[in-house]
Amino acid sequence: MKRRVAITGMGVISSLGNSSAELHSALCKGDTGLHKIEGEAFHGFQCRQSGNLLSFQPETFLQGKPLRSLDRTGRMVAAAATLALANSGWSRETLSQRDVGLVLGTMFGSVHTISEFDRRALVEGPAYASPLDFANTVINAAAGQAAIWHNLRGINSTIACGAASGLAALSYAADLVRYGRQTAVLAGGADEFCFESFCGFERARLLCAAADDGEFAIPFDARRTGFALAEAAALLMLEEWEAAQARGARIMGEIVGHGSAYNPMRRRQNGGSNAIARAIRAATEDAEVSPAEIACVSASANGSTVIDKEEAVALKAVFNGKGSQIPVTSIKSMLGETLGASGAVQAIDLIESLSNGVLPGCLGLDKTEADMPDLDLCREPRKLQAGCGLGLVNSVGFDGHACALLVART
Amino acid sequence: MSRQATIVVTGLGMLTPIGTGREQFWNALVGGRSGIGPVKSFDTSNYSVHLGAEIQDFQPQNYVSELAPESIGRSSQLAIAAARLALSDASLDLNKIDLERAGVCVGTTSGEPHFIERFDDHYVQGNLANVGEEFITRYPCHVVAGHVAGELGFGGETMMIATACAAGNYAIARACDLLSAGKAEAMLAGGADSFSRITYTGFARLGAIAPEVCQPFDRKRKGMVPGEGAAMLLLETKEQAIARGARIYCEIGGYGLSCDAHHMTAAHPEGQGAVRAMRMALEQSGITPEDVDYISAHGTGTPTNDRLETIAVKRTFGSQAYKIPISSVKSMLGHTMGAASAIEAAVCALTIERGEIPPTMNWHEQDPECDLDYVPNVARQHKVRVAMNNAYAFGGTNSSLVLRECMA
Repeated sequence: MKRRVAITGMGVISSLGNSSAELHSALCKGDTGLHKIEGEAFHGFQCRQSGNLLSFQPETFLQGKPLRSLDRTGRMVAAAATLALANSGWSRETLSQRDVGLVLGTMFGSVHTISEFDRRALVEGPAYASPLDFANTVINAAAGQAAIWHNLRGINSTIACGAASGLAALSYAADLVRYGRQTAVLAGGADEFCFESFCGFERARLLCAAADDGEFAIPFDARRTGFALAEAAALLMLEEWEAAQARGARIMGEIVGHGSAYNPMRRRQNGGSNAIARAIRAATEDAEVSPAEIACVSASANGSTVIDKEEAVALKAVFNGKGSQIPVTSIKSMLGETLGASGAVQAIDLIESLSNGVLPGCLGLDKTEADMPDLDLCREPRKLQAGCGLGLVNSVGFDGHACALLVART
Repeated sequence: MSRQATIVVTGLGMLTPIGTGREQFWNALVGGRSGIGPVKSFDTSNYSVHLGAEIQDFQPQNYVSELAPESIGRSSQLAIAAARLALSDASLDLNKIDLERAGVCVGTTSGEPHFIERFDDHYVQGNLANVGEEFITRYPCHVVAGHVAGELGFGGETMMIATACAAGNYAIARACDLLSAGKAEAMLAGGADSFSRITYTGFARLGAIAPEVCQPFDRKRKGMVPGEGAAMLLLETKEQAIARGARIYCEIGGYGLSCDAHHMTAAHPEGQGAVRAMRMALEQSGITPEDVDYISAHGTGTPTNDRLETIAVKRTFGSQAYKIPISSVKSMLGHTMGAASAIEAAVCALTIERGEIPPTMNWHEQDPECDLDYVPNVARQHKVRVAMNNAYAFGGTNSSLVLRECMA
């Protein structure tokens, strides 16, 4: 028996706000979380833009216990959990009575912690490596730390699918609820901004490069040269529908289906759009809806030269010629690429968009290249038609992972 | 807990410090062979411990053919080799399945740690200019599952589950759910980790590495031995396996997963999370403690782990705990990290098929706090209808998988 999956709370730590309402309002105003990158370590790189959090104060969200043993990623995840738990009405007391799970998507865990731990042992000798840091070198450290902080004793898992990790984690958690493994699971994703990942992406020439007339980490735009690396943490509380109703929870949305696919040909530079389209079709089949019922799309596009177009081709194929009637946006135009967090941040904003009836626009988008498929790309915030209830969140990884999630307004 | 379909294991592939492939591995295992020796992959002269469990003479080009072996990391190479062995063991003809509905689920602790270690070498030598694109294209752990899918042409759901030393069990559990929900028709699930300087340094710093011998549950046990390895299981529905005339090792009865929410590196003092995971696995499998014939222990060999694991088994199984043979293959293999519980799941499958239980080696003296039947030093003939595979990890993450005889 399949159970319905209710979304009963959302928590987000982002460069554009620390609540879903704040985030959605900033996105609709066209605010940007991207800025000129600071710090001497970043001199000499071609990319000059980033979307790191300038004012993250973990103490605001995490009180009463020492924070010392949590690294930055752990703090961001634990903070997002504080917000999602409060938003869904879980208290210390109710959490002690039931086993709530946590499924986190992440690309790196903390590659900064891992690298720093190793470098210290290299420079000072292995006897000087920090045991406290070692605990945080495992990729599931943030999920473990957040579970300890909030007393989450249910299934605790960490999923890695690159930039599709957050959506893959939401899909996994939704299945745990649907198939009766767990009645309440916090799920989403996180990745921090750090020197190590920035340096890696720069060397792989995936980041937007500064040019005389600006930097164009603009999804779908003909001038795009790559993405802007950013950071965020986002978690949604997923609960079995009847259990959520029974405890009097406010239900803000529903996960109605998901699909995933992999492009085994990605190292041969083709087949990307096929895998993306298969993931979306799998999601519609899973939800038992037709693509024509989808009212709006939060795309994965981040300014990447190849993958943005593959996604557009896939959307066009799935919508079977009707793509020009379905509004598509990419909030990465304002948030940058938050990697493991991205799909979960998109899901949170799409729930807000469906409830408020306004989809944010794709900031800065001007012209697309001539052979970009004909889609209704929103350049400005778009009022959704009355009755719009079903939204598609799409995530595409750098290495062939594709994941699609369908959310519905309640 | 009802499943829509029964999921069975029809192929096993493993690369371990004591042997590669089912027969070589099994013979070494029941023969009590050790894969532990001085670390060769990096210099340990400034460490206080020197033992490791590395795979010797691995030839990736014997397994990796569609991708260029030198273009991927060692964990990916090991995972691909294990996948190829599992497919061949399962006699699965890839031309006869829908490759777009074939997926890969791999558990890991560190993914491809060598690439961040090289990054760090460059960093401390002031040579960051030497960091090339291979760092980002080969390091992030998701590439391991991706490389397996890429090598085999699989286009279904493909993911890494990074739940450290319990990851193999988590990956198998996820694959089972995808299969029983009808979202895949074949899944390769398991775990992979390559020998890591970072992991070694960390365990050495925690004082957790055995200086001379790995002797789980022995009174004088002094620690674990970090290792490397990979194992993949081919999972499919029982219906499909029977239809294609496949040999079935066993079925997956159910699983239990939980979190201590207590401490990052130490287990709960009363084994609370581990007990919940075992109970959930029993319940999901529709069985009672009396039904379990063998427990494959996490059994790392550290004083604390083995003591707390024993407490948790006793709390779950009551007086029955004394009647169930429990062994730790880590006494021979070392701790292969994310691969460990996948290798141990394969061990469980083989105990069911062969009616023989591998020993806990190097066990000499009983610890009053570890007083169960650990199958010391000699393999034992014992009919196994139901096996439980336990694995625990940093982050307080617990897992128990039930594998059982498949009735026709």
